[in-house]
Amino acid sequence: MLELQNVSKLFAGIPAVENVSFTARAGEVTGYLGPNGSGKSTTIKMITGLIDMTLGHILFDGRPIHDDLISYKRRMGYVPEEPYLYNHLSGAEYLTMVAQLRDLPERESAERINGMLRLLGLYDDRHASISGYSKGMRQKVLIIAALIHNPELILLDEPFSGLDVSSALVLRSLIKELAARGKVVLFSSHELDTVERISDRVVIIHRAKLVADDSIEHLRTLMALPNLEAIFSQLAVDRDTESAAGQIADLINA
Amino acid sequence: MREAIEKLVRRMPLSFRVLYRQFLLRVIDLEALSIEADVPRFLGQFAGILLMYSLIRTVGGFFLFQIHPPTTPADLQMLSWTFDQQFIWTTMLVVGLIAVVSWDNVFPDRRDAMVLSPLPVRPVTILSAKVAASCAVIGIAIVSLNIAAGISWPLMLSGFAGAIRFIPAYWFTLVAASAFLYGSILTIQGFAALLPRRYFLRLSATLQLCAFGGFLAAFFLLPYLTTTDSFLLAANRSMITWAPPYWFFALFNQLNGSLPRELEWMAWRGWAALGFAMAGAGAALFSCYTRTMRRTIEEPDLLPARRGAGWSLPFAPALQKAILPFSLRSIVRSRHHRVACAFYLAIVFSIALSMLHAEWTSAAARTLSPDFLIPTYMMVVFSIFGLRAVFALPVSLTANWVWRITQLNPSPKYAGATRATLFAFAVVPVLVIVGALSYPITPAYQAGEHLLVLAILGLIGIEVALFGFYKVPFTCSYLPGKVNIQFIFWGGLVVFTAIAITAAQFEVGVLGHPWQFAVTVVGLGAVAAALWGYNFYRARSAVLYFEELPEDVIITLKIGSIYNAE
Repeated sequence: MLELQNVSKLFAGIPAVENVSFTARAGEVTGYLGPNGSGKSTTIKMITGLIDMTLGHILFDGRPIHDDLISYKRRMGYVPEEPYLYNHLSGAEYLTMVAQLRDLPERESAERINGMLRLLGLYDDRHASISGYSKGMRQKVLIIAALIHNPELILLDEPFSGLDVSSALVLRSLIKELAARGKVVLFSSHELDTVERISDRVVIIHRAKLVADDSIEHLRTLMALPNLEAIFSQLAVDRDTESAAGQIADLINA
Repeated sequence: MREAIEKLVRRMPLSFRVLYRQFLLRVIDLEALSIEADVPRFLGQFAGILLMYSLIRTVGGFFLFQIHPPTTPADLQMLSWTFDQQFIWTTMLVVGLIAVVSWDNVFPDRRDAMVLSPLPVRPVTILSAKVAASCAVIGIAIVSLNIAAGISWPLMLSGFAGAIRFIPAYWFTLVAASAFLYGSILTIQGFAALLPRRYFLRLSATLQLCAFGGFLAAFFLLPYLTTTDSFLLAANRSMITWAPPYWFFALFNQLNGSLPRELEWMAWRGWAALGFAMAGAGAALFSCYTRTMRRTIEEPDLLPARRGAGWSLPFAPALQKAILPFSLRSIVRSRHHRVACAFYLAIVFSIALSMLHAEWTSAAARTLSPDFLIPTYMMVVFSIFGLRAVFALPVSLTANWVWRITQLNPSPKYAGATRATLFAFAVVPVLVIVGALSYPITPAYQAGEHLLVLAILGLIGIEVALFGFYKVPFTCSYLPGKVNIQFIFWGGLVVFTAIAITAAQFEVGVLGHPWQFAVTVVGLGAVAAALWGYNFYRARSAVLYFEELPEDVIITLKIGSIYNAE
């Protein structure tokens, strides 16, 4: 179980994440939502240990992650928001390097890598340089790199970004399957429809603060709204979107 | 003057001025720099090194002139010709190196094409801004390198009256030699760009390395010919026929009115070469304007590969298996790193070539002597510290997150993997080269002993290079200006020379004596082990870092810690 207790992050005194607390349980998919700049990626980076929090605690299976960060990293897989990879390596070379950095046995990791490359339709291009990969292909490499060591905690920051329809459907089912096998899955996305379909519960953050943490069903009933999009609009969208669109069009015409 | 330049700049189209400024700052790879990096300061440092070189040569020449003033016209000519050739060679080398380093910046690349094509900017403006930025950097280099010597030496060598002709001839020659070199590179690249883009990219990388090696080899290997007779020697005929620096030396003397009639043909060669290079560069730029810029977007950079070189190091720890191939691939596949690495390796190979040349031409018995040992020390030192410098240049800062996420081992293991990488790429190649060069040396066992000494010196050098290096090669941001390069370079040169001479004399003394040699090896081994222990101890408490930051401006006196301790 992943637990955030009053976590805050300040950049030059300005809060990027303020007093956020929630729990992501094993066997559940937890969706993490928020508008651009609300603090989603910062929270996920704090959970990965990439950046330190200013205040609060992050616990995994009841232990603060910073108590033994190395053991924690062994149990965690992460897909970052941007598909940043080493362009001078091929897909296969990159994944092999990640497996070696994770101290995985050579034969076992090679089998896993090749298997996942085949299943995600990247096997034929595995020796091509990553610099020639499309955004979707890079995303697939990141997904394989995050799962290669069979992690217990899976953190996915915009994992559907750039994926083609078929791969997105595979990933959607995969996320549910992994949760069903007892993994803790926390993923953030702007695709509300996808979040609604696969998440057991959602956490919504707005202007660095937590504004909702509940199951979608309960939120729907509580707020008397038909779907997640309506819930999100009410909780995290400040402005009249149609009016803003009209103003932009007017500005261009002026 | 300044007003005139500003007026001229204001007349340029705004798009040209904006692009020119951008391209000027992109002479170095901005994506590799630390967030604290200051590019203008870095360019200033670069100019400062050249300026320092110019000043040192000027002051050195002045004292030489005072101590040994030329007494005869022949002496004066010898001194003058040495000076001319030194500065033409050096200027051509510096311009050549700039051309190689900015190889990809000469023509618009895919990023330029993708970003600028949708904007209402004419291709000719982009191209002009690119060329202008490259020319500006070369101009700064020529002026910095020659500003002191290019005025004081003509006055010393030919007096005030003679300098009136000498100075313009000298500066024109430097500009002409640089234009020839840069124009030649543009021409070669222009012709190569006519190939399909993916083949061009591969060929371009090879040409870049060849050009690099060629410039350095020419600088180190071309001798200064200081008399007319030496130019007329049959043995030198083919060299002066095909080596452009001699043509521009002749061109200078033709302009200065000091060229013997027998060497006129070399000057005309210089003029012809300049004409061909300029015409070729013009054609290359025209071709780029009409063809290449469009094709840069249309054609893919790479074809999907069908096979990959899946190799792994047997018996090595997993971290070494990851870091060593990653380092090798970074050096081989990243243009910036390949060039930076080639710079040091070219110096190593040039030293090796000059040793080989000395062996071929020497009639003396081939025994180990300081003349042989000192260059081998130089090779191993250049190789280690060169590669260490290349390791500090990152491949892709944005991709470094993967190292942080997978940091499952303590810092000494990362340091160990870096140590193994340095040994494999810096020391082993030098041992192979020195081993090959030692082949004719008798007795053969002494050559073997020297290789053992060199290997241990390599280990010591690696440990010294790893002081404070708590990072994975090619992953930490680069902060130009953090190290005082002037101090390190000149200080290092003086200290190294003194140590190398002493060490070589000592080694020659112990090579023939088994006990003394054994004690020496054990002593060196102990030094290497002690340094390894020190680095291991320091690494245990060190944290790997990925962002190079400047030293704190405020120095903490740690007075608080004294009270806490009490």
